[in-house]
Amino acid sequence: MFRTLIRQEFLSLIMSARFFAAVLITLLLVVANAVVLIEDYERRLERYNHQENVQRQKAQEAKTYSSLKLYVERPPNPLGIFSAGLDKRLGGTLEIYHGAVPIISEASARRLDNPFLNLFSKLDLVFIFQVVLSLIALLFAYDAIAGERESGTLRLVISHPVRRGNILLAKYISAMLCLLLPVLMSLLMVTFLLSITGSIQLSGQDFLRIGGIVLTTSIYLSVFYLIGLLISTTTRRTATSLMLCMFVWVVLVLVYPNWSRFTINPVGDMKAEKTSATEHVNQIWEEVDREAERFIANSPLTGDPPWFNLSYHETGQRYDGRRRMLTSKVNSKSEHLVPQLTKYHETVETLRIRLAEQTALIRKQTLDKTNLREAQWHENLMKLSPAGLYTFASSAWTGTDLEGMLDYVESAQRYRRSIIDYLHEKNAFGSRQWFDISQDVVDWWDLPQFRFERADVSENAMRAGPELFLLLLINTILFTSAFLLFIKAEV
Amino acid sequence: MILHIIKRELFDHLNSLRFVLTTLILLVLMVTNAIVHLRTHPEKVLDYSEDVTRARDDLKSRTDLYTLARKGPGHLHKRPTSLSFIADGDDAYLPKRTSNEGSWSRSGFGGQVKSTWWLSYGSVNPDAKDLRPQATKIDWVFIITYLLSLIPLLFTYDSFSGERERGTLRLCLANPIPRSTLLIGKFLGTLITVLIPFCFAALLNLTVISTNSWTQLNAPDWGRLGVILLIAASYAGIFIGLGLMVSAGTREPQISLIVVLLIWITVVVFVPSTLGTLSTKWMPPIQTNDQFQTEKDLATKQNNTDYDERIKAVKEKKLAGAQSKLLQLSKKPQETLSPEEIKAAQEEYNSVWRIDGPEELQIKSDFINKDAEIRERFNRAYLDAQIAQIERVRAVTRFSPAAIVQYALESMAGTGFNRHLQFLDHVHRYTKQFRQFIVDTDRADNQSSHLIGIPEGMSKETLTIEAIPKFEDKITFKDTFNTASLDLLLLVLLVVVFFAGASLVFLRTEV
Repeated sequence: MFRTLIRQEFLSLIMSARFFAAVLITLLLVVANAVVLIEDYERRLERYNHQENVQRQKAQEAKTYSSLKLYVERPPNPLGIFSAGLDKRLGGTLEIYHGAVPIISEASARRLDNPFLNLFSKLDLVFIFQVVLSLIALLFAYDAIAGERESGTLRLVISHPVRRGNILLAKYISAMLCLLLPVLMSLLMVTFLLSITGSIQLSGQDFLRIGGIVLTTSIYLSVFYLIGLLISTTTRRTATSLMLCMFVWVVLVLVYPNWSRFTINPVGDMKAEKTSATEHVNQIWEEVDREAERFIANSPLTGDPPWFNLSYHETGQRYDGRRRMLTSKVNSKSEHLVPQLTKYHETVETLRIRLAEQTALIRKQTLDKTNLREAQWHENLMKLSPAGLYTFASSAWTGTDLEGMLDYVESAQRYRRSIIDYLHEKNAFGSRQWFDISQDVVDWWDLPQFRFERADVSENAMRAGPELFLLLLINTILFTSAFLLFIKAEV
Repeated sequence: MILHIIKRELFDHLNSLRFVLTTLILLVLMVTNAIVHLRTHPEKVLDYSEDVTRARDDLKSRTDLYTLARKGPGHLHKRPTSLSFIADGDDAYLPKRTSNEGSWSRSGFGGQVKSTWWLSYGSVNPDAKDLRPQATKIDWVFIITYLLSLIPLLFTYDSFSGERERGTLRLCLANPIPRSTLLIGKFLGTLITVLIPFCFAALLNLTVISTNSWTQLNAPDWGRLGVILLIAASYAGIFIGLGLMVSAGTREPQISLIVVLLIWITVVVFVPSTLGTLSTKWMPPIQTNDQFQTEKDLATKQNNTDYDERIKAVKEKKLAGAQSKLLQLSKKPQETLSPEEIKAAQEEYNSVWRIDGPEELQIKSDFINKDAEIRERFNRAYLDAQIAQIERVRAVTRFSPAAIVQYALESMAGTGFNRHLQFLDHVHRYTKQFRQFIVDTDRADNQSSHLIGIPEGMSKETLTIEAIPKFEDKITFKDTFNTASLDLLLLVLLVVVFFAGASLVFLRTEV
């Protein structure tokens, strides 16, 4: 009997105009957006490859150790077409320098060809599911009970020896099947489009991640179906049920996620916090100057660095103290000063590394207190709506969420450590090649290369876990209340 | 009769649940909008006035004409509008001021030369450092485009199909009422129903906002608000027409609901962004930033080499002259020479490098001005290409009434892309005025040799800040109306089209 019920419900749904319309509109939007998103990804990948090559060449060109200028780039995430998250927006270029620990707020973005195009947002596939399919889920549900009650068929069904719970369950299962069909079909279309263009190579792990997104999508849609079902059981007329459903949808999907971001300002004034941190950091950096002065006072060197007209390039007053890129030719007249100079640079640069770690702590704390805290707050606020939960869960799957971005910064930090180790190993700070090209230029053949590996799929699952759990919890609560109400309801 | 129908529709709607829900949501959104505006607007105004004062102070420090010409008028700032609560216009993505690409100084063959000011535009990418989740600001544009389209559809989707199902339509038409009257009645009835909560919420919003002294709404602002209300009404009218059309064309209200909702979701939620980005795929791509920079560098480099050659030629000629003079002197018998003469000749020889004659000054002045001109020309051309691309994309997105309304509202409120174009227009006009001012002031001074761009060739008189032209970024009601006129026209046309469509479908349907 239960199976008959499911079959009947399923057939009536799948033959209905709404199912047809749902499939049509989802596929249309998915294809139209996927085309744009894939091309966008290709362009970003191309730019990334180009940029990486340029950086690599530039690094090789450095003649002294001090003039090494290293940058790392974040590769675009191919799963960004599913859930863009922060992947496209956030800058991905970080400078690797022994005197500064890279942090996320320092990542810079390349200048766009047409910055005005930012006025037109690109929508990812998860957004389409989030908006369109949640509406469709409500459209499937709003008359599930109320409609049958109005037309009198509910009474007919209940007169059979079926449990009421089974009726509800049958409706739920068949509707979920019908909702998953457009999702799967659009995924099929996207895979097809991907295989045509061929530029995006998805690994086995990536398919698991996509599987995770499908799972999240179905749990998310089930929330909306159950909301509809709940409303449908409690209302007498379909018209009322429909209006309530639409209202809930508008609030949860359209209004709340935008509302919470601009209405609530949890952190307050971040400017003061940041200025005080900058002052503190600058104070710490002053020690470099002091140490340099002390060294010079106790040595035969006179005057200010850099000496004997070293040609140098100074990268401004930065957050991380001053950095000097030196390339000079020591002539025979000043040859006797070289041991002093190498000693000087070794002292200063090792101090710089130590201070960099020290300032990194302060900067990290400030970041935690300001931008990161603000971001976390807004994420949590958004998670009060299932739409927010869904967005964050899927970006956790794809690795385009904040955690994924922090992963990248962390690996850049690790890379910085490996560069420092490399420099130590070569005794770069204490060698004359730090500043002098009169004898030898530096050969960078064994310079460590940067590679960013996205987090493992199990890690992704862990990160999506809390949101999935919350969504499941909402589901259980909704289903139980719908069940209880339906059992008690008069037909 | 028509009044009767309108009244009936009105009472029908006003008693319904949807009316309550509509009013509720509109009120909440409008009040939020007002509160957020009150919190953020003073900051914007303060920032702007601080920026302007700072720019003015910078100008004050440029007391002589040469420094003024070299450093330029400083940043030119875009004036914030007090109506930004109506349309945020993605202002975060648009530059708030002109930028400063910096200056250069070059010491080469002819001694040191310093650049003169050129105009550059700058760009902003606020997202690059923003870790927060993305969201749309809740302004009137959001409220109108999303809700004043969905609400009319929810009010109208069953107005014919529902009545047909219940049989009341037949009853109604059994009376001697022309169908068109019934349609007009329904149209106006729904329009009034939708506008009542909207106007109520909007009034509440305006009341909250005008309690604060930061937002002074003056007479033209109220004029703008009037037009904005008309825009909102005609936008709602479009969707009422659409709802009536679908409702008349379908048998069951369920079907018409689904059709109507899917049209809504496509046209309002997706078309403005999807179609916009999709359309760039088929448009000719504009130069990449790298290409632009390379070309600009190439052109300035060419100018540099030209300059080097010219100055080299002059200097070498002079040098040769001085050299031959020295040579002649050395040929003369020692007794006939006075030490002053020798000294003078040596001095002349030595000073070729140090002191520039009028010819060199002319060349330098030409070079510097040409350099600024080239940079400015390239910047302008790139900006124009970007703007042209955006204009094309905007034209495509006008397929959706939501985009049309967004653009119209932005123009009326004085935000968004059109406003930015106006700002750029003012900037260009001011740049011309500024350059003219420098030339005129210099010309008025008889002691100057009228060579713009180099310290030796310009008037030395001190400037007063009052004399320097002031940058005005004011928009008049006429300007806003002109930029919005296309969108307004399109809106009116769409109302007519959809209403005509609804009446055609309704006239032909069987009851």
